[in-house]
This record gives sequence, C-alpha cells and structure tokens, in this order.
Amino acid sequence: MNRRKFLGLVGATAAVAAAGTSAHAAGNTHFTGHPEANAVLFDATECIGCRKCEDACNKVNELPKPDKPFDDLTVLDTKRRTTEKIYTVVNKYENSKNPNLPVFRKNQCNHCQEPACASACFVKAFKKTPEGAVVYDESLCVGCRYCMIACPWSIPAYEYDEPLTPRVMKCTMCHPRILEGKLPGCVEICPKEALKFGKRDELIKFARNRIEAYPDRYLDHIYGENEMGGTNWLYISGVPFGELGLEEGLGVTSAPELTSGALAAVPVVTGLWPVLLTGLYAIHKTREKIEKKEKDDAVSAALTKAASEAEAKLSSELEKADVANKRKIEVEVKKAVEEALLPKDDDDAPEEEA
Amino acid sequence: MKKGRFLLRWGAIVALLVTFSLTGIEAMGVVKQPVASGEQRADIIMIDTLKTFGKLEEAPVAFLHDQHTDALKKQGKDCTACHETEKDRLSTKFKRLKDVDMGTVKETYHANCIGCHKEMKSQGQETGPTDVSCRSCHSREVKASSNWKAISMNKSLHYRHIASDAIPKGSEEANCASCHHKFDEQSKKLIPAPGEEGACSYCHKEEATKDVQDIRSASHTSCVSCHVDVAAQKADSGPVTCQGCHSADMQAKVKVVKDVPRLKRNQPDAVLLTVADAKTLATDSKGLMKPVAFDHKAHEAFNDNCQACHHDAIASCATECHTVAGDKKGGFVKLEQAMHKPDSQRSCIGCHNERKAAKDCAGCHALIPEGRTSDQSCSSCHAEDAKLDGTAQIKSMSKEDKAAMATAMIEARKPAGIFKISEIPEKVLISDLVDTYEPAEFPHRKIVETMYAKVAKSELASAFHTSKGTFCQGCHHNSPASENPPRCASCHGKNFDATSNARPGLKAAFHQQCIGCHTAMELEKPAATACADCHKERK
Ligand code: SF4
Ligand code: SF4
Ligand code: SF4
Repeated sequence: MNRRKFLGLVGATAAVAAAGTSAHAAGNTHFTGHPEANAVLFDATECIGCRKCEDACNKVNELPKPDKPFDDLTVLDTKRRTTEKIYTVVNKYENSKNPNLPVFRKNQCNHCQEPACASACFVKAFKKTPEGAVVYDESLCVGCRYCMIACPWSIPAYEYDEPLTPRVMKCTMCHPRILEGKLPGCVEICPKEALKFGKRDELIKFARNRIEAYPDRYLDHIYGENEMGGTNWLYISGVPFGELGLEEGLGVTSAPELTSGALAAVPVVTGLWPVLLTGLYAIHKTREKIEKKEKDDAVSAALTKAASEAEAKLSSELEKADVANKRKIEVEVKKAVEEALLPKDDDDAPEEEA
Repeated sequence: MKKGRFLLRWGAIVALLVTFSLTGIEAMGVVKQPVASGEQRADIIMIDTLKTFGKLEEAPVAFLHDQHTDALKKQGKDCTACHETEKDRLSTKFKRLKDVDMGTVKETYHANCIGCHKEMKSQGQETGPTDVSCRSCHSREVKASSNWKAISMNKSLHYRHIASDAIPKGSEEANCASCHHKFDEQSKKLIPAPGEEGACSYCHKEEATKDVQDIRSASHTSCVSCHVDVAAQKADSGPVTCQGCHSADMQAKVKVVKDVPRLKRNQPDAVLLTVADAKTLATDSKGLMKPVAFDHKAHEAFNDNCQACHHDAIASCATECHTVAGDKKGGFVKLEQAMHKPDSQRSCIGCHNERKAAKDCAGCHALIPEGRTSDQSCSSCHAEDAKLDGTAQIKSMSKEDKAAMATAMIEARKPAGIFKISEIPEKVLISDLVDTYEPAEFPHRKIVETMYAKVAKSELASAFHTSKGTFCQGCHHNSPASENPPRCASCHGKNFDATSNARPGLKAAFHQQCIGCHTAMELEKPAATACADCHKERK
C-alpha cells in the first residue's frame, strides 16, 4: 500500500486515525495546564462585529490581502471558516435573547491545553508552549494533515495550492509578539475589549466575577475552561454557545486522554481494521523511533548536566566544609585557652555570652 | 477515484441506517403531537376526571368546549344541556353536581356523550363519535394546539364590573358583595365581607379544600353563570365561551378604561414601613433598620391590581408571613428578602429592577453591576430622618402619627435637579488616544440635558436620583459625585489588566461606555461599527 492511498483511507475514518496514533500519547495523570500560561477571553456581549481583529491578524501575520476589504461588513452575512490565508474570522449569529441585535463570535485556534492536533501529529510539528500558544513547526511537518482531522473545531488549514512546501496554517496566538511583551494583534486592536489578554487563571477569575456581577447579561459558563481538557482561548456569552457555532457536546476530557483509554479500542470501521492496523503500525514504529531518539538525547543531556552540576556542588561543599572545620577548631582552641585563664571563684556568675 | 467511491459507499450505509430508524419509529405507532403551526384554540379541555378515583385506565379525552357550545346553540340549547345548576349557579361538572363514584361518573360521560352524538346522527346532523370503540375518544388526535392564556382581573376590568348596570349599585355592600364574600365557619355560608375584600385567589387556591372551591371552579361558576344570566336579559354581558376570556386575540379586544378611579378599601395613602414584625418590635427593637416611608397611593397607580404586591393576602407582609426571621407561612422568605430579592417581581427591588431595564434607564443601569450598593443606596429608601431613632421610637406612635410622618417624609423627597447648566461643559474633546482617528467631539451638555429630561419625567427616577450628581455617575462612576469629576484616563490605563481591579483599558472604557449605553437604549445611530461617525479617520 502506498502512503497516499493509506492516508486517503485514514482521512475517511478520522476517529480511528486520531485514536490509534495517539494511543500512547498521554498517561492517566490529569494535566491542568502550564501555571503561567496566557490566554485570551472573548466576550460575546461586547463584540460588535467590526472585523478590526481580522484586519489586525492579517497585518501582523503578513497574510495575503483578501478579496473584500475588512471594513466591508457584508461578509458577515455568510458563515465563514478559517483558511490557510485567514487565521481568524468573525461570524454573525441570531440573538435568541434579543432578535433585533445580532451577536458575533470570533473564531480561531483555541490553543488547547492538551491539543488534539499535537497529539495526532506523529512528527511533533505542533507544540504547546508554556506561554499558552500552540505553535507549528513547518520544518518537521510531513503534510499528513492528521491535525486537521483531529482538531475538534476544524481549525488548521492546508496550503493546497502551494506546490512545493505546503504548510498547515492556523492562529499562532501571536506567540512571537507575546515573547516580545506585546499583545496579540487582534487583542490590541479590539475597540470594545471583547478580547482580553492575560494569565489564564486570572482571566478565569475575572470572567467568574463578571458573570456574578451581571447575572442577566451572561450565562453561567466559561467556554473553554474545561472543554476538551481546557483551552487557552476562552469565551463568555449571553446566549448558549451552541448558538454561536461552538460545539457544546465536546466533554471535558482532552483529546490525548480520550484516545489513550478504552475508547481507542472501539472499532469504528470494522472492515478496515487490517488495513489501518498495518498502516498505523508503520506510523507507530516511526513515531516510536523519533520518540526513542528524543528520549535518548534528553537522557544523555540530562546526565551530562547532572554530572557537571554534581561536580560543581561537591567542590563547593568541600570548600564550605573546609572553612567550617577551620572555624570550629579555632573556636575550640579559644574556648580552652579562656577556660584555663578564668579565675575559679567566678563560677556562679551568670553566663552572659551564652 | 477510489477514495471517492469508498466514501460514497459509507454514505449510502449511513443513509440507509437513518431511513431505517425513522421508519422504525413510524411503524411503532408513535402518535404525532399537535403541531404549533396548526389551528390555535383556547378551548381544549383534557377530560381526566376519573383520576380523582385512582390511576386512569384510558388516556384523557381531548374535548373542544366551544365547538360543543356552538353545536348546541344551533339546536337552540344552552349551557344547561350539559351543566346542572345549583343555587342559581352553573356547575362546572358535566351532567352532575357531585362525583359520587368512579362507575357513576364514567357512566355519566359514556351515556351522555355517546347518547347525544347518536341522537344527532339519527337526525342526520354532523356529530362526534357514536361507536363504542374506546380509541374514538380516548387518545384521539387533536389537530389544533392550545393558545389558552390566563386572564387577570386588572383595574380596568374591575372598574367596568363596578360600573356595570348589571350589578346592583347603590350601596357598596350590594355592589361589592355581588362577587366578594367570605366563608362563615359557623353557619357554613358565604356572607358579605364589607371592607375585607381581596383577590379571589386569597381563598380559592389551586386545589379545592373541604369548604373552599378551587380557583378554576370558583371563577367559572361565578363569572360564567353571571355572564349567562345577564346575557339572557339581553343586557351587555361578558364572554361565555372559553375563547372569549382565554384567547390572546379576544383579550386584546377587551375595552380598557384608562383613568380608573382609585379603589377604596381603607388602604392608606402613605405607610411607614417598620423593618420588623410585631414580635421583634415588642421584644427587641433597638438598633433596627430605619423605617421606609412608602407612597402607597402612587404605587397603586403603577400596578394592575393589589396582587402585584399583596400576592397571598392583603395583610401587611411582615405580620405573619415574611417575618424578620422567616416563617413557614411565608415559605421562609424573610422580610429582608421579601423586600429586596432582585429577581422577584413582588419585591421592591425586583420590581424597580424591571423598570430599570426599560430603554430610558438601561443606558446607565445595564452597565451597573447587579447588587452593587453604595453608601447612599440604603438611605434612598430607609430615610435618615433625624427625628427617628430606628424602630424603637415607632413602637409608641399611633397609626395616624405614623401615616403623617410617612406623608411628610415622602413630600420631603424632591429631585435635586442638575448642576448649573452653564457650568456643564458643552463639548468635550476626547483626544487621549488619537492614532488612526482624529479626536472625538462629544456633545456633553446635550447628553446631560437629554438624560435629565428622562429622569425628570419619571416619578420613580425622580425619587431615586436625589442628589445633583446621581445621574452623572452613569458615566462618571466609581468616584464620588462631583461637579468636577476626574477624567477617564485617571483610572483607565493603556491596556486591560486582569489583576488591577480588572478595569478596561482606556480605549475600551470609552467604547464600552458609549456603545454600551447606545445599545442598551436601542439608539440606532451612530451604528456601533460606524467609526467615522464619531471620529474622523486620519489621513
Ligand atoms: S475587533 Fe473586537 S469587537 Fe471587533 S469584531 Fe473583533 S472581537 Fe469583535
Ligand atoms: S483548537 Fe484545534 S488547532 Fe487549535 S490547539 Fe486545539 S486542536 Fe489544535
Ligand atoms: S492571536 Fe494573532 S494569529 Fe491569532 S487571531 Fe489574533 S492576531 Fe491572528
């Protein structure tokens, strides 16, 4: 079976592909996110659908100019999705609370705490950074597009019309800008602060306070706090999230955790098993090889580091011990001399120096 | 392409599965529910009378009441064809006055329903089922859906009854006692209760008791019987069909009297609401919350009927039900909650909150967090009157003294007006953030004047915006009301920071305030996305 044919089959049976390839991706411990991770909180009650965020995203990421300018709000009349040239789109939805006032939602990568895209990627082209973003390394990508199938929100897009080195494209949370201490492009421009940037745990606290202060304005739910194991793009809204095109039945278990358990064994497409297993075995082997190498590298690096650290520590301890010993001897000698010189009748005087 | 064909094959299998399960449901005989798009009726009655004797053996019968009334009318028959009368009133029961036992009741329905249908059929008339098959009536599919709507005796409707020629006038007793009565325990009779009138539902509850009919039977026997009698005298009468009272269309057509004279039932104009029940007042009244001078007369005008506040009895809230500590009689809702629960339409705050949601008020109030209290918020109702020492002193005051004091306190509440118009900046140039846009020119004085006009025209708003700076704080919030409030940039920094009190950054502070207020007030222009309407783009 050639690779192309195999991928085609896998593509048609998404769940199995995601399940099989990531069966070893996670253990049973619950990962609650990097402690210092950043996040963005989207407030659907603030968004006015101005598309400034789309504009800013296009500029900071130097993406190609779209057909219609960003101040053309008629594009909101159709539901759009992210593409390889558009990392984020704002869509308009009917407002079940107030039919005269539409609601809007900005769509982009949700920067999962335990990304399905990353766990589906057998060459580890996707990486979750401690700062919060899920980033992509095109130099590792082999173009299998498992990530696109795995993502619960169908975010990653593929440069199909790029003949030589097609890449998978998605929102980067403006990771480079964050490292420079800047705000993500979309957050910075939003006139209503419908997008708020901050530490994930602080934003969650903020969102909770907000919901409590305005109980009529918000539903009592922060989307992304727990969905699929939690995301670093969070949402609050006055209307049910399903009405904003956000999948509501995703559950709170992360993709890697889901697929490492018993679910991975559910035969979704029974007839295909032999074919799939052969393919998956091959992929698995490749992956194992990569993992083994990474592990070996890491171990030897750690060992070298530990050895040199231990050596440094030992010599400094020895030095310290040496100084301490000398000092101890000196003190003892001094004490003995003083005792010898002390007059005997002063015995019951209070010991002041003690 | 192989992949394409493969997908097609799977698609076909899935489609087959779906079709199978759908037809499967159909084949199992699941009855379709009446659809909302069908006819809407207010007269669908589910006859399930036998359930008082135990579990039903058959499904209830959906009965279209008005359809039967019409059919009988055509034959020259009236309500008595089906309903017997007792003490001049029509019974709501079908062909009987009492539910003797299951067998008898069942037989009453079967013999009379089918009997009548058969008779009509023999006369060649169109009629209901005549066979003895259970399913013809039980589990019969009704094509219409119900649009039944409760009707309430509002002030206008009440006044039209008082003023009606069909109801004896002259003495108040004769007039009121035509409907209002009380149950005399001793004689076991209904007797007039002058001065004690209240809503029917105070006594007639959802469920009947030994002596008291349920509200449904009570209102139908009284209202419909009377309407039927009056109509028989060819006088102007109220509806006698289900539709007549219970369809939204007909309710909308009910004549409304605008200026209804105030109903007099010994109620006070002004009340000094003490913040305690009698027991607390007698035993431990030191340091209680200050009383509230309540303008009863004004509130009567704002509400449809007494029940809007006096929902279960006309007595004062704190006497028995909503005591300070809470009581079983009042569902353990304490006095404090009864007055302040934000989500109850009967509490002061709950009802005021509803008014604040109106367009004119929402501009500011929608942006103010719920439950936010300031130093002033208690004292806007619980007056800091120097003469009043909490509740301790009230104990010794007579009812009249209290009413007089309340009246004086209400009169003392005067809207404070606004700062001198000439001192209020006419235009404010918002230039803190100029980058891609020119400064925004904000028509400050015009907005102040518009806001003030809205406050002044509302009695409620006037009563609460009592200091000159109160409504300025809609925008100039979180710092004491003043003629010279600090500029926005004093508190709003460059960007949002979740840790520093979670204030919006300056740019968002402006936009959230302006756009938020315009949206809440449903002002269409300028549109939230029309940037250049407020600040010109920099070229
Ligand atoms: S910039 Fe802000 S307000 Fe405008 S569409 Fe984007 S998220 Fe909504
Ligand atoms: S939203 Fe999709 S693309 Fe983004 S991190 Fe999660 S799985 Fe990956
Ligand atoms: S975070 Fe950056 S990449 Fe992502 S949507 Fe915003 S501007 Fe675009």
